[in-house]
Amino acid sequence: MEGVAMKLPSFKSLSPNAISIGHRSFSRVRRSSSLSVCSAASSSATISTDSESVSLGHRVRNDFRILHQEVNGSKLVYLDSAATSQKPAAVLDALQNYYEFYNSNVHRGIHYLSAKATDEFELARKKVARFINASDSREIVFTRNATEAINLVAYSWGLSNLKPGDEVILTVAEHHSCIVPWQIVSQKTGAVLKFVTLNEDEVPDIEKLREMISPKTKLVAVHHVSNVLASSLPIEEIVVWAHNVGAKVLVDACQSVPHMVVDVQKLNADFLVASSHKMCGPTGIGFLYGKSDLLHSMPPFLGGGEMISDVFLDHSTYAEPPSRFEAGTPAIGEAIALGAAVDYLSGIGMPKIHEYEVELGKYLYEKLSSLPDVRIYGPRPSESVHRGALCSFNVEGLHPTDLATFLDQQHGVAIRSGHHCAQPLHRYLGVNASARASLYFYNTKEDVDSFVVALADTVSFFNSFK
Amino acid sequence: MAAAMSSSCCASSLRFIPFKRTLFSSIHFPAKTLILRPLKPSEIPSFRRTIITFQKISTGIVPPLSASSSSPSSSGDLQPIEELPPKLQEIVKLFQSVQEPKAKYEQLLFYGKNLKPLDSQFKTRENKVEGCVSQVWVRAFFDEQRNVVYEADSDSLLTKGLAALLVQGLSGRPVPEILRISPDFALLLGLQQSLTPSRSNGFLNMLKLMQKKALHLEVKGEEDSSSESSFVSTPETKDEASVPEVDSESKPGLVEDLGTEKIDDSDSGSNGVALGSRGMRIRERLEKELNPVELEVEDVSYQHAGHAAVRGSAGDDGETHFNLRIVSDAFQGKSLVKRHRLIYDLLQEELKSGLHALSIVAKTPAEV
Repeated sequence: MEGVAMKLPSFKSLSPNAISIGHRSFSRVRRSSSLSVCSAASSSATISTDSESVSLGHRVRNDFRILHQEVNGSKLVYLDSAATSQKPAAVLDALQNYYEFYNSNVHRGIHYLSAKATDEFELARKKVARFINASDSREIVFTRNATEAINLVAYSWGLSNLKPGDEVILTVAEHHSCIVPWQIVSQKTGAVLKFVTLNEDEVPDIEKLREMISPKTKLVAVHHVSNVLASSLPIEEIVVWAHNVGAKVLVDACQSVPHMVVDVQKLNADFLVASSHKMCGPTGIGFLYGKSDLLHSMPPFLGGGEMISDVFLDHSTYAEPPSRFEAGTPAIGEAIALGAAVDYLSGIGMPKIHEYEVELGKYLYEKLSSLPDVRIYGPRPSESVHRGALCSFNVEGLHPTDLATFLDQQHGVAIRSGHHCAQPLHRYLGVNASARASLYFYNTKEDVDSFVVALADTVSFFNSFK
Repeated sequence: MAAAMSSSCCASSLRFIPFKRTLFSSIHFPAKTLILRPLKPSEIPSFRRTIITFQKISTGIVPPLSASSSSPSSSGDLQPIEELPPKLQEIVKLFQSVQEPKAKYEQLLFYGKNLKPLDSQFKTRENKVEGCVSQVWVRAFFDEQRNVVYEADSDSLLTKGLAALLVQGLSGRPVPEILRISPDFALLLGLQQSLTPSRSNGFLNMLKLMQKKALHLEVKGEEDSSSESSFVSTPETKDEASVPEVDSESKPGLVEDLGTEKIDDSDSGSNGVALGSRGMRIRERLEKELNPVELEVEDVSYQHAGHAAVRGSAGDDGETHFNLRIVSDAFQGKSLVKRHRLIYDLLQEELKSGLHALSIVAKTPAEV
């Protein structure tokens, strides 16, 4: 028993070795005693993805203190990671550490603290660049979140490059953050927005997208993985088609970067955006990846300190990217904590995370579709179609708000109901709202089981009143 | 007996509300606020009577209510339950007696199941509760005693239950009582309804809409029935309301924007503009043809002096816009649209020669 207790803390110091050591010791413990130490629920049997070892979800559970609580009298089952992810202790420690030991304004300071803060801040930038395989860390611009990053491209690149009659191609499944900025900018510039609809698999129609691309196209802005449909788009091919006509491609990678390996050089995208808070990092920080020559050609977005070179009364000269697009004091602690999140995820390994989620996501899909009257949106999983680990669904005759409320109040299950910032998509699907359960690598099969049991109970409760 | 209520706890546009019901007596306090207590014992179930009596004895001092109905009263953290309409008190007590959360939800759904469905013609934009994740519609109208009657519907069962609660609790009550309700009572229901005005807070938004509609009815009713006929409204809404193709749902001269206040204190029928020749002609015609019990013709052309349609087309003296208030037996048995048609037909000549628009209140003597 003591051996178990002593091994636990090793999870918190996250280097790749620590994880595997912990892993091995747990297996040993399991064989010798029937203790299930990983998850908070002592009553659940430990289910493993491979024999003799503990699943990823169970292994990392202790890193996320927030998951060990009760809501409304039931154990919390958090299935809303697509809205925001939970943060491991390492990330929280990094943030705390920054403020406690070396908080200082970056870039211009001379003194020790500011030098240290600057180093850590720029190191975080390098970590993010490495994480997505950008060729240079100067291609990473820190923003408040992905929404701001898209707005940056819209206002900076869009306003100076789009002319009347130019076309911007989007899909009906885009998040509002990748629709509204383009609407605003197209109104100002006279550009035209075109939308790709879904095919019968409930995936954006790639053939139609290809046909839509023409010499008039200047930008294709699409999601990598859909936050409602769980489908993914073949970005590499789209980039090839777009570049053939001289168009740029912006990839909304909010639902892909946290869950799988994303390689911007391989994708060859011109712009890519993501938010920290969906990938175990804090809120208040996100980033834009932009190809070096593109960023260099773009005028500033916000004006102020940091982004200037020289300031006179009647004009100013601007800094090189990325500073050119980072006006004002950045979210320093948050950026550093994002770096810690990148470390944490890399410590586990994105391929491993992805593999786990594919399986868990498939399990969720299967169990959910086994319930009667459940309609899941997006493509069916298959050998060729890998869904993201989330399911947006509706139950026949019931409103998603009712489901979500009851699931929360009676079962402690946290899902989301509404339009998930994708009103056009819901309109296209002919529904007002949907419910969505989304997973991350800290969820387990037990979470999915609890959810499905709770959902069945919820449905029968409401059905008894009809 | 009628009780007059001063305006301190309602929007300032409410000035005088005649009550025709005998259910209430007013307890006068030195302060400006009046608190109405339901009095008729026969109307109240016996156990309720005890509570009311007890309360009447012990509380000589009831704290004055704060101005806005949506903020809790100044005396404590929650609005006292006794200030709620009787049916709502019953509902709250019922929910309080049900301890188990699941049973509460069952109770809520039960209410929703028994909610009278709302005709789809009333599922309009202006009846929709804004900011709701699910769709909720609320409709309000006066009954013969000028109590507000509500109907509601929703596509979500839980919000339907909440709507049913509110409909049952608030329907058949007079406007001031409805406006006084603070959403605090939701806490007493124990349904863990948050009272924060967030997007997913259907309950708060529903209550607010119901109160807004009650106020709206009151303001509209005042315009129709009170002798002070001058009112301020934006030219746009007046024009829309008085175009000959009158929408039967909306009454003319309607103040759509509740922010607009009906302020004018003057007791006179007109605001001092003497009728010109057209005005006199209109008056003569209507008197001759409709034999009205009451007739008011008010020239409000000056209010429209700004917009272009007026400048070119006036004809005599720029008399282009009039408010009409006619009480006549001639309207008996006629729908609102028919009444307006009648009037427009009588005034055809004027309309052709520069009369731009009319804002009409047409009632039978019984309706006043």
